[in-house]
Amino acid sequence: MVAGITVGELLERADAAEDLLLLDVRNEDEFAAWRLEARRPIETVHVPYFDFLEDAERSMARIPANREVVVLCAKGGSSEMVAEMLAEAGRRACNVEGGMIAYGNHLESRPVPLPPGARHEIHQVLRRGKGCLSYLVRCGAEAIVVDPCRHAEFYEELARGLGARIVGVLETHVHADHLSGGPRFAAHGRAPVALDVGIELVPAPGHTPDSKLVVVAGTHVLSGDTLFVAGVGRPDLGGEVVPWAKELFRTLRERVALLADDAIVLPAHFASSAEIGADGIVSARLGDLRRTVPELSICDESAFVRAMESSARPAPEAYARIVRVNRGLEDATDDLAAEWELGKNQCAASAHGR
Amino acid sequence: MRRLGARKVTMTKKLDVRGAKCPIPIVKAKKEIDAMSAGEILEVHATDPGSVADFQGWARMTKNAILQSQRTEKDETGHDVYVHVLQRKT
Repeated sequence: MVAGITVGELLERADAAEDLLLLDVRNEDEFAAWRLEARRPIETVHVPYFDFLEDAERSMARIPANREVVVLCAKGGSSEMVAEMLAEAGRRACNVEGGMIAYGNHLESRPVPLPPGARHEIHQVLRRGKGCLSYLVRCGAEAIVVDPCRHAEFYEELARGLGARIVGVLETHVHADHLSGGPRFAAHGRAPVALDVGIELVPAPGHTPDSKLVVVAGTHVLSGDTLFVAGVGRPDLGGEVVPWAKELFRTLRERVALLADDAIVLPAHFASSAEIGADGIVSARLGDLRRTVPELSICDESAFVRAMESSARPAPEAYARIVRVNRGLEDATDDLAAEWELGKNQCAASAHGR
Repeated sequence: MRRLGARKVTMTKKLDVRGAKCPIPIVKAKKEIDAMSAGEILEVHATDPGSVADFQGWARMTKNAILQSQRTEKDETGHDVYVHVLQRKT
């Protein structure tokens, strides 16, 4: 058996710029659609696994010698076969366990710095493969989760480790890119009773009609898909770009504009690893975003709507199904969920990440 | 009119790899193709959606087979089955 490496170990080593060569053995389409990213660029070679079956020698020759090769595929089966071929040929090789599916499901959490003496604690949960961010907000022995992914056990475990119990679930809006973990929590539907002191909900329609901002301790804004650290959320996912773009414009001019420059924006998504800060957290001072996000400086409604219209594009096919499940109109098996959730989120207006 | 006996009969073999994950469908298909004679057809039934692009990629690479067609069918339970039709080359 060839050695295995978990996605977590791989990301940690790649983030630390260790000398690794990533060999991606998926087919052309899958490789073009979605790549594994770390916080530093990973040197990647693409040779599909069936090339190894057909011409092992020539395929092997395409991989630089004397390097530690980490082999990746969609689910971990083909990469294991190729890693074994490499190991048999005397190469240092290991297999990424679970492949891109595991990458898409990998979660990690980091505490967000808060002023000393703050009553609340915020933990950002990063789903790096999809670029999804969710939060656990703790106050004493109680915690709420905001925009949880379907991996409820991760949040339960995180809360347990902090000595807290999850008493409520909040969603900034109905998500279209990933299945919500909301219904999987025992506390689902229960109002976050004791925690509501210091948590304020601000209506923020635009990305969706039900969008809101969750303001914690008056300083930290869980901004959902309304505002990201490199742009704004797309208002075209519901197929009504003009009315929703107008709503988003009003939200930015009338709601977001009232927040202080020192407010810390904690979004529900990021589009590229470049948005992850040096501390491993995706966040920004609102005052900085007012300078760097062009959509926040557009004062004219029709100019804003035109900008949103020009960035409108078709939504991935699975989004309509995901919304139905997140609204409770349909169920999804874990297999279906895995299939629908493949790839990065596409929730930002296209100017995002420019 | 040609006599019936002279008509060349094309052998079609079916390979059922439903439920198998990559690399199994291609590994098994390659093994079958390697053992077949020129002109014979192999019909692979798979449930992995990734097999569609995998068979296209493999067919571009291999010298032994061409990918004649691909289609999606439904099984008894309504699940998608991806059918890949390959022909052994000389």
